[in-house]
Amino acid sequence: MSAGAKEHAGARRRVLPRVPVVERAAVTVAVAMVLLAAVGPLIAPHDPYAVDLSRSLLPPSGDHWFGTDVSGRDVLSRVLSGARITLPATMIVIVTAALIGTVVGTVAALGGKVVDEVLMRVTDIGLSLPSIILALGLAAALGSGLRSAVIALSLTWWPGYARLVRTLVRDVKDAEYVDAARMLGVSRTRLVLRHILPNALNTLYVQTTLDVAAVMLVISGLSFVGVGAQVPSPEWGAMIAAAAGDLTGGWWAVAFPGLAIMLTAISFNLLGDWLRVRNDPTIREGAGR
Amino acid sequence: MARFLLRRLVTSVVVLAGLAVVTFLMTQVLPGDPARTAAGRNATAEQVARARTELGLDRPLWEQFTGYLDRLLHGDLGVSVFTQRPVLDDIAAMLPSSVELVLAAMAINVVVAVPLGVYAAYRRGGPSDVAARLVALLGAAVPVFWLGLMLQLVFAAQLRLLPLTGQLAFGQDVPRITGMTSLDALLGGNPAAFGDALLHLVLPALTLAASFVAVVARTVRSSMITTLDSDYITLARATGASELRVVVRHGLRNAMVPASTILGMQLGWMLGSTVLVESIFGRTGIGAHAVAAVLQNDLYTVIGTVLVIGVVFVVANIAVDLVQLWLNPRLRRTRRRTGEPAVPALAGVKP
Amino acid sequence: MTDTPLLAVRDLRVSFPGPEGPVEVVHGVDLELARGAKVALVGESGSGKSVTARAVLRLDADATLTGRIELDGTDLLTLPPRRMREVRGSRAGLVFQDPLASLNPVMTIGWQITQPLVIRGVSKKVARRRGVELLSRLGVRDAGRRFDDYPHQFSGGMRQRVVIAIAIVAEPALLIADEPTTALDVRVQAQVLRLLHELADERDMAVLLITHDLGIVAGFAERVVVMRHGLAVESGPVEEIYAAPRHPYTRALLAAVPRIGGDLSRPLATVGPAVGTAEEEAVEPS
Repeated sequence: MSAGAKEHAGARRRVLPRVPVVERAAVTVAVAMVLLAAVGPLIAPHDPYAVDLSRSLLPPSGDHWFGTDVSGRDVLSRVLSGARITLPATMIVIVTAALIGTVVGTVAALGGKVVDEVLMRVTDIGLSLPSIILALGLAAALGSGLRSAVIALSLTWWPGYARLVRTLVRDVKDAEYVDAARMLGVSRTRLVLRHILPNALNTLYVQTTLDVAAVMLVISGLSFVGVGAQVPSPEWGAMIAAAAGDLTGGWWAVAFPGLAIMLTAISFNLLGDWLRVRNDPTIREGAGR
Repeated sequence: MARFLLRRLVTSVVVLAGLAVVTFLMTQVLPGDPARTAAGRNATAEQVARARTELGLDRPLWEQFTGYLDRLLHGDLGVSVFTQRPVLDDIAAMLPSSVELVLAAMAINVVVAVPLGVYAAYRRGGPSDVAARLVALLGAAVPVFWLGLMLQLVFAAQLRLLPLTGQLAFGQDVPRITGMTSLDALLGGNPAAFGDALLHLVLPALTLAASFVAVVARTVRSSMITTLDSDYITLARATGASELRVVVRHGLRNAMVPASTILGMQLGWMLGSTVLVESIFGRTGIGAHAVAAVLQNDLYTVIGTVLVIGVVFVVANIAVDLVQLWLNPRLRRTRRRTGEPAVPALAGVKP
Repeated sequence: MTDTPLLAVRDLRVSFPGPEGPVEVVHGVDLELARGAKVALVGESGSGKSVTARAVLRLDADATLTGRIELDGTDLLTLPPRRMREVRGSRAGLVFQDPLASLNPVMTIGWQITQPLVIRGVSKKVARRRGVELLSRLGVRDAGRRFDDYPHQFSGGMRQRVVIAIAIVAEPALLIADEPTTALDVRVQAQVLRLLHELADERDMAVLLITHDLGIVAGFAERVVVMRHGLAVESGPVEEIYAAPRHPYTRALLAAVPRIGGDLSRPLATVGPAVGTAEEEAVEPS
């Protein structure tokens, strides 16, 4: 039976208006996007690179579900092919940044005060700028193109992970089960790899999922301004850039790639939110981060 | 309090120094030979060598760095390859326009996000709460540049409600006082131009603000929820205060503590996002300028922009800390009588 | 002195929305307070005593209340929100357990003390004067200067005095004190209780003291109401309750209070499940 009023209020607030269907839909879309990245060009109805000026800027129709762009290329096919460029690029950035960040963060957390201070100042520098500016600067030094953009973004994104992992490892290393393992004579590296990291990294997985959308937005943004993927590429940001000049004449060439970005971003964000709540059941719905 | 500020200042200096190092390294990675670029395309080997000596490029790395640092502190950010003018001058000319845009976007951000967050928290679980969370979700997922284009399409091209590009209509003239078009129009006594400049600000500012509104609204909502659950709010009600007074007078200041941190950081991030927004709307500003510089391989301009934005960021963070001190009296005492900790500052939150 | 009690609670039932439908927390409680009386509402955590007290001021927006709660003849349960707001603070005041959580950390205590007056049209100057006087009376030295301090600059006992000041500055006839001393250390507890007693006498103010600590009830209250599982199982003058408790639960509660000088070899008595369900055995109030 009951306790005081507050507990009742708490119980009521845990009743979510959010239906699990939404989460399921999000996971489905996210998975679909990833699959698309793999097989996109194969299921595209037209050749994404085929230029045909006689079919320039056709509105959406049965033949071209998303219409054609100014060069006569089928927008749907290009969007489908674009997944293969944007998504893997995003994943590479995140995985690289997460790897570097995890190493740096772990070393900072376990390595003693001096090492910690130095590494934290370095991450401060990385966090002292908006990522797009830093990425722009690095891309300028490395040259334009998707490869430079990916390298530049990996280098700008790892400090955030380093900070996060450092906090997580610091929390875990003081936990009792780690002491227990150490007393049993477990070696230091084994301690780190098998006991500390797996627990610490649970939260990291959540963060990386949530970051997919953010990284994707920056990558497509860099491509849009011309610093990332270059123009004939069906990368979604580059597609928007190419079509921006004929906005009024052919809004579909801009709208659909953008919607693709949004859809992917939303689904990964929902996925990440769901993972976050699953990971930490003490989060009260509505309390947020 | 003094100790707290001092610590912040020291950290800031370290960060700026680090930034100088990073940007210096970027100049070293530059493809191509700056000596050759300086000497000109048809220079002889001797002329190139002389240019190298003049530029100090034959000295050891450490010396080059101190030279670089020295120039930075004197405001010498190099010369733009493209405009042939000092980089700092170019940036100083472009900056006010970006600041104007960011301030307008910030104003929209606060005016929209705070009431939205408060209302969503107050009516937690209700349809407006769900709607607010939906808006937040969309806002975080929308590509800024795409939104700008779509808004242009709908409001400028189709509905013809707002201007498409530019900062002023053709034929309007405004004296250059601050560099911010709308402010200059006001100061120059030209109310028609002022209104016109504002109209030109609407779409770009909305575009820039869109993704940030989401985060702020969510933060305000979440901290307001925590605040409204507090005992002191219940007690405020128990003294007979109206709901409005309880939420706004008693609660809001508490809820704004974490929100103000986010808002401060967003100033910097918004400045960075001008890269994506300015060229769409045909506005001059450091964002558009930086993009052009990257495409023209004008490295000194790019690096200069990075440094300037870095400085703005650092200053904004310090300003945020000062605002925190004002909002939250618990932070003002360094020596605390009882054991409660002061509100911990937010760890670095990725945009 | 009229016959009608200041506060008359009749058959109060309180329920909250739960994951599977409404949950009733208080199952028909009767309670009476005469003007200027000091009554203790006693029970364990979860007995519903706090809920009952909060119901008087209708502080839980999601609670469903049935029955009657009459304050000075007015049924509070049928009042429209605006009238209810008038009651809060000026007819009945509230003090909570944790003084730190009860005070707004970003506002000066002076602002918080004067608010109940300011919203009733009192000028800021007058409100400040009355607030400083009250704070002084409550034992805060240098009240005028400390008026502009923040809650974190006070000690626990001082903070509780501030909370009391906020609760009574608009001069209510009834003060509901929900575990006002639980978060304080023992010496300060005694001071605060004595203060409440004095204030009650000075202002002819009734006090409903809610507590689980039987040790403090005897020195403070005239009548005791014992609650368990959402029901009032026994009530009566404090001497009778302590000397001759009728309900087995009351007996068990009293027996569970450790006594200085008691037999150290015997284990402490507990209130166990053997005491039986409250519904069957509630005793008529005396």
